Amino acid sequence: MYMYIMKRLGFMILAIFVVSAMAFFLMNMVPGSTPVMILKYTVLGLENSATPNQIAQISSRYNLNDPLYVQYITWLKNALLHGNIGTSYIYNEPVSYLIALRLPATILLAVTSMSIAILIGIPLGIYAALKENRISDTILRFVTLFGVSMPSFWVALILLLIFAVDLKLVPVVGYGQVDNIILPSITLAIPYMAIIIRVTRTSMLETLGNEYIRFSIAKGLSKYRIIFVHALKNAMLPIITVLGFQTGNLLGGAMIVETIFDWPGIGNLLVNSIDSHDIPVVQGCILVIAIMFLTVNFIVDILYTYIDPRIRYGG
Amino acid sequence: MQIITKILSILAIVLVVGIVLALSGCVTGSQVAGNTSSNSTVQSNENDTLRVGEMWDITTLDPAAGGGTTIGEKADITETLVGANPDFSLKPELATSWYQVDNLTWVFNLRNDVYFQDGTKMTADDVKWSLDRVISLDPVVTNLVNLDNITVINDTAIMIKTKSENLMLPAVLNYPDTGIIAKSSLDANGNFSKPVGTGAYKFESFGQTTHVLTVVKNDLWWNGTPGLDTLVLTPITDPNTRAMAIESGEIDFTCDVPYNEVPGIAQMPGYTVEKYNKARMYMLVLNLNESSLGDLKVRQAISDAIDRQAIAQNVLYGMGSPAAGPFMSTMAWTNTSLTPYTINLTDANALLDEDGWVNGTDGIREKNGQKLSFTLLTFPNRPGLPPMAEAIAAELKDIGVSVQVQVETSGAISAQVSTGVWDMELTTYATAMVPDPGYILKELYTTNGTYNSGKYSNPQLDALIANASDTKDLNERYQLYEEAQSIVYEQQPIILVDYYGSDIVMKNYVKGFVNDPTSHDYNINPEIYIQN
Repeated sequence: MYMYIMKRLGFMILAIFVVSAMAFFLMNMVPGSTPVMILKYTVLGLENSATPNQIAQISSRYNLNDPLYVQYITWLKNALLHGNIGTSYIYNEPVSYLIALRLPATILLAVTSMSIAILIGIPLGIYAALKENRISDTILRFVTLFGVSMPSFWVALILLLIFAVDLKLVPVVGYGQVDNIILPSITLAIPYMAIIIRVTRTSMLETLGNEYIRFSIAKGLSKYRIIFVHALKNAMLPIITVLGFQTGNLLGGAMIVETIFDWPGIGNLLVNSIDSHDIPVVQGCILVIAIMFLTVNFIVDILYTYIDPRIRYGG
Repeated sequence: MQIITKILSILAIVLVVGIVLALSGCVTGSQVAGNTSSNSTVQSNENDTLRVGEMWDITTLDPAAGGGTTIGEKADITETLVGANPDFSLKPELATSWYQVDNLTWVFNLRNDVYFQDGTKMTADDVKWSLDRVISLDPVVTNLVNLDNITVINDTAIMIKTKSENLMLPAVLNYPDTGIIAKSSLDANGNFSKPVGTGAYKFESFGQTTHVLTVVKNDLWWNGTPGLDTLVLTPITDPNTRAMAIESGEIDFTCDVPYNEVPGIAQMPGYTVEKYNKARMYMLVLNLNESSLGDLKVRQAISDAIDRQAIAQNVLYGMGSPAAGPFMSTMAWTNTSLTPYTINLTDANALLDEDGWVNGTDGIREKNGQKLSFTLLTFPNRPGLPPMAEAIAAELKDIGVSVQVQVETSGAISAQVSTGVWDMELTTYATAMVPDPGYILKELYTTNGTYNSGKYSNPQLDALIANASDTKDLNERYQLYEEAQSIVYEQQPIILVDYYGSDIVMKNYVKGFVNDPTSHDYNINPEIYIQN
């Protein structure tokens, strides 16, 4: 088990390196030259063209004319030796500072959305499994289909229109108060809730069909005990797998929701930085997102061993 | 049993929410907006605080890094040496007068009653320091000034020497990034920390996470008493969210709500909606190396087939008006004899027939085996562009020209245009980045112009514009530029569609707003006040 953890950690570190290199080289392949985009997003404006002098000025300021591998190695050296992952071309602030400012917002949103999705999704999924093919199950299946299909920007705008503009229960914009997180987290939670309901339902149905459940019923155990103590624990494996991926997703930032609610998270920092070719910020964000994603899935894999004692990782 | 009941009630709630969502989807935005009208008039503004919903994210407050528009025009922290009248002619601001000493040298006389917001008096030394800094750091200003050096003559006068004759220099010193800042704007390490300027409002705070900028009344302001106690700029980048924020009363003033929402908001009691044309235009840039577009008749035909009025009405919802030449009629140097082209399908068809373009069996004209078929590139960042592109494509179909619209990011478009393999691009251009006609005419229409991506080359026009930029007498210069405008109007290397309009939405208790046509997006003039 110890060997497994060390191997996993080693793999994670390797993956993070590969991801950071890929982010850098891919960004340099995106159409639009980096110095031109930096000019457009800071001083020039999107529509104006840059003069060769202006391009030269920016290129020399940020060493953009060096060969790509030189630029990447410089970045890598700074990151490993000095812990410096670069400075934003657009904000003129250290990348680590920008990410530290915005990561809490994304984590807060992710945790809140996931909590809502789990607290509502799992009970409903269990309920749907118990009432298989009855009316309530059918309604739930329809509602979840709806939940997954509705585009999040539409849901966000409708929720804002009803609860913020019409009923004035929450503010439209803002960050920092409890009020501000309600609508964004509900908007984000809806599709994930729908998926959790479905996965829980399927997994429960499969578990409930097993022989040992029949045996428990024959033994005379209470329904409560059968569902929550025996069945749910065995059904948890696929559910936790899905939860792991979804949490990883959410931690990557939900760009659309963040844009509509002006939620200062990693998501729209990353997308805006890709648009403006702010490559250090893109690398920083991808690095952080990759670390979080890999960590969450690592935790999920370890959790497996506690939920299902049959699972053991060999050396 | 209890668990089942609990789950049932949760289910019921989810169902109700789902049905509400489904029903509300059928309710149009303006209907819901209409219902809020009775609530909105209750929202009043207790303090003299103006809360502005800003349309762009505020990434920097350093004018040398592009923050000049935000801190100069919107937050009124900084001011420039030269101001501009509504007709774009220049007027004194921090400088009282200016004149040319010789071809390469200008002298600017400065006011002697101006104080920075840190209490120190503004001297020529400070102005030199601020200008030197922005000219060296800001690539746009570097390019516009072409500086040799700045010398201080005395406390209230500086001498600016350029490397080549620059008759546009006074206009360049109206550019917001050249706003004068004090040395105390930098921290001990020489990094920009906060803007300290001379304007009506001074910096109070900037949320590092939220990017909310707060400024307060500057009692040291030289030009009167500011109308507000506090001014707060909150970036709300999504236009729908901006509209909702002002409908809910959380902000008092904003710009560019979605065009189609403007009529609805205008009808709500408690709101003032104003529409203004800006010094910007929608234009169809053509690759003149693409053989058919190099042909004047084809360009004229395309221009004749575009219904500029209908586009302004229906695509832009009135946010804009048909364009004639590159400049709005209200600008001091506009050739007002030029009138907007009106749609003329007869002429358009006749021109193409004359030119030998025959209608093919698929409805698309062709000549010598080549079809009159183009790709039109545009980008989504300006909401009017994609629908305008579709409208133009539909209108051109009527004369047998096939247009395929492709919406891409501006980075992708500029990459493609630089390869030379492209047909048309629908974009917008600022026509008065500095309040001088020479800049845009040179960059758009001269052979080596930076923005001349279509590679239009007219030696006669080149000579005319070069001559004009060297003509010292203002009226003579404007005459020559008017001639240049006639030429590009007739030749149409770039087909100008509409002037760019935008909407300003504010609550009724916001008074004293005066639109500044020379501003980039909008200008919060210091006379704005809240009527309690």
